[in-house]
Amino acid sequence: MSQAKQSIETRDVTLVEAVNMALHRAMADDANVVVLGEDIATNGGVFRATVGLKEAFGFKRVMDTPLAENLIAGTAIGMATQGLRPVAEFQFMGFIYAGMEQIVSHAARMRNRTRGRLHCPLVFRAPFGGGIHAPEHHSESTEALFAHIPGLRVVIPSSPQRAYGLLLAAIRNPDPVIFLEPKRIYRAVTQSVEDNGEALPLDICFTLREGDDVTLITWGACVQETLQAADKLAEQGVSCEVIDVATVSPLDRETLLCSVAKTGRAVIVHEACRNGGVGAEVAASIAEGAFLDLQAPVVRVTGYDTIMPYYRNEQYYLPQVEDIVKAVEQVIAL
Amino acid sequence: MKNFKLPDLGEGLPEAEIVEWHIKVGDTVDVDQVLVSVETAKAIVEVPSPQAGTIAKLYGEPGDIIHTGEPLLAFEGEGDDTGTVVGELKSSGKGDGNGAQQDQFIVGAAPSSKRARANRATPGVRALAERLGVGLETIKGSGPGGLITTDDVHKQASHQKQLGEAEPLRGTRRTMAKNMALSHAQVVAVSIFEDVDIGDWKKGTDITMRLVQAIGKACEAVPELNCWFDGDNLSRQLLNEVHVGIAVDTPDGLFVPVLRDITHRSQKDLRQGLENLREAVATRKIPPKEMQGATITLSNFGTMTGQYANPIVSPPQVAIVGAGRIRDKVVPYNGTATIRRILPLSLTFDHRAATGGEASRFLGAMVLALNNAS
Repeated sequence: MSQAKQSIETRDVTLVEAVNMALHRAMADDANVVVLGEDIATNGGVFRATVGLKEAFGFKRVMDTPLAENLIAGTAIGMATQGLRPVAEFQFMGFIYAGMEQIVSHAARMRNRTRGRLHCPLVFRAPFGGGIHAPEHHSESTEALFAHIPGLRVVIPSSPQRAYGLLLAAIRNPDPVIFLEPKRIYRAVTQSVEDNGEALPLDICFTLREGDDVTLITWGACVQETLQAADKLAEQGVSCEVIDVATVSPLDRETLLCSVAKTGRAVIVHEACRNGGVGAEVAASIAEGAFLDLQAPVVRVTGYDTIMPYYRNEQYYLPQVEDIVKAVEQVIAL
Repeated sequence: MKNFKLPDLGEGLPEAEIVEWHIKVGDTVDVDQVLVSVETAKAIVEVPSPQAGTIAKLYGEPGDIIHTGEPLLAFEGEGDDTGTVVGELKSSGKGDGNGAQQDQFIVGAAPSSKRARANRATPGVRALAERLGVGLETIKGSGPGGLITTDDVHKQASHQKQLGEAEPLRGTRRTMAKNMALSHAQVVAVSIFEDVDIGDWKKGTDITMRLVQAIGKACEAVPELNCWFDGDNLSRQLLNEVHVGIAVDTPDGLFVPVLRDITHRSQKDLRQGLENLREAVATRKIPPKEMQGATITLSNFGTMTGQYANPIVSPPQVAIVGAGRIRDKVVPYNGTATIRRILPLSLTFDHRAATGGEASRFLGAMVLALNNAS
């Protein structure tokens, strides 16, 4: 790919290819969009998310950085406050922590601290989640750390189409977005995606399947297992509504409460460990806002409160289809 | 063959030296069975097998340096591994011939969820509503945030007691309600009106037949209104034969039986055909196919009351003619005010399918045909 493509084209793409497509589109549409990170330019990125960008847009807009996450975050913040729209890649979610001080104390607070004089239109991209036979610091799901920080938006796509639409929205958003890409499904699903430059809305859930008996609330790679569980449950006559939260902060409570008002039951599925996870916030919101509609306690299917195990045991850690089916059977029985 | 590449051994190290192979070509291995010992800058690491299978090839000897991501060995069987330098990504098997699917999802809450959210009520109120036979969906809550209160349920219950319950529509009346709403939502309807002087008609002229034949003449003059129009695909089909749907009012609702091929039949034949259709409607013996295939419709409400109307065009048709009640009117005639017999005509057409000029010429052709004494 040597030229920035301006024509509208529809391609069958995987999630990671959709990320690449959105980056190409965003850079072609807006000369202020720049991309930086470790091995993202000449090499094309550890997962090939940025492949072709340097050839298309040049080294001044597609920058390899030293192996220093604090530098990546700080540089991106500086660029953003001065009018650029940087999209910085962290090779893995487990490497973000080195840049945490910049992200939490500066990116998230710049607008507030300067009383609106400066703001931070940037995107921090990182692959996250396990299930790919990688070590623990390549496998974690710590989205709750960022969801807890006011001033950060945390967005998680779960399909090629939503990766394309949400990444464009994140890049065009005037404030910092943590964009977490579920690498377990980077190449697991191929969808036909139109490269039309249309963003999907942020801060709103997506209802993937309409149902009456129970609401399954999830995000990221777990959307796959949740849909499979919904299929199995449909065979048993249980009609599941499946909601992809997509923006885990700020949370679209309205959509979740609407759905639970209809079904009266909710099961939350996430890969991150349970204690203090985003699922806890979802469950609390349902208890506060839909208590009168509930017919059963809200149940969570999550990873365990432990370090992500090495790959021999990672399937024990990850929520499985059977776990979700069991949880639904438990709430349906009430 | 399926290559297994040297994975990232967890230290981000770029390369490793083969120390010792624990298997040889042709061996069958299990998942997690140790394949090879390699030495990195930090330690000697045992690399386990990612899968069960038979070893087809080894890509190095002890002492060779293998870079992270380079092939280490190959298993028998199809396909390359999907490994990156850091793990194994499952692949969707692109090019399996099934083609990629379009993503389907609803942004935000499903419509059915929004409806459910509209009926918020405490369990006590729900129980009360059920006891009193009140549907929560019929109530607009007066409490905070639209919450339905005990008072709301009592009010609705006494309301229902006074009025009785609503009667659900059935059969023809139900079909009429659905079809009319659908037509009204689709069609871009425009109506024009004209009076016809029929003072020269002989006594006992068959009004309905004259109207049907005038429609036939007008369709010959302006075929654009004798047409089936497809708004979804933006296509139309001009039709040679004219099949007139005749609106028939019954206590059970609206029936529109079809009088076929009216331009090639005698008036007597048409009248007999219409009588047969009316009889069939009256006795509820009309088969559905007798009510399909109209190319234009006549609503002759003049037998009752009303002068002009803008009746609803029924797709794929593009026009409907309304004939009002005939009356004596004082009109200019040969330069003097004279009492003449006047037939009020209405024409409603779908402006997506026909122009105003075509509709106006159509109405003009009808007036001309009806003006004649016979």
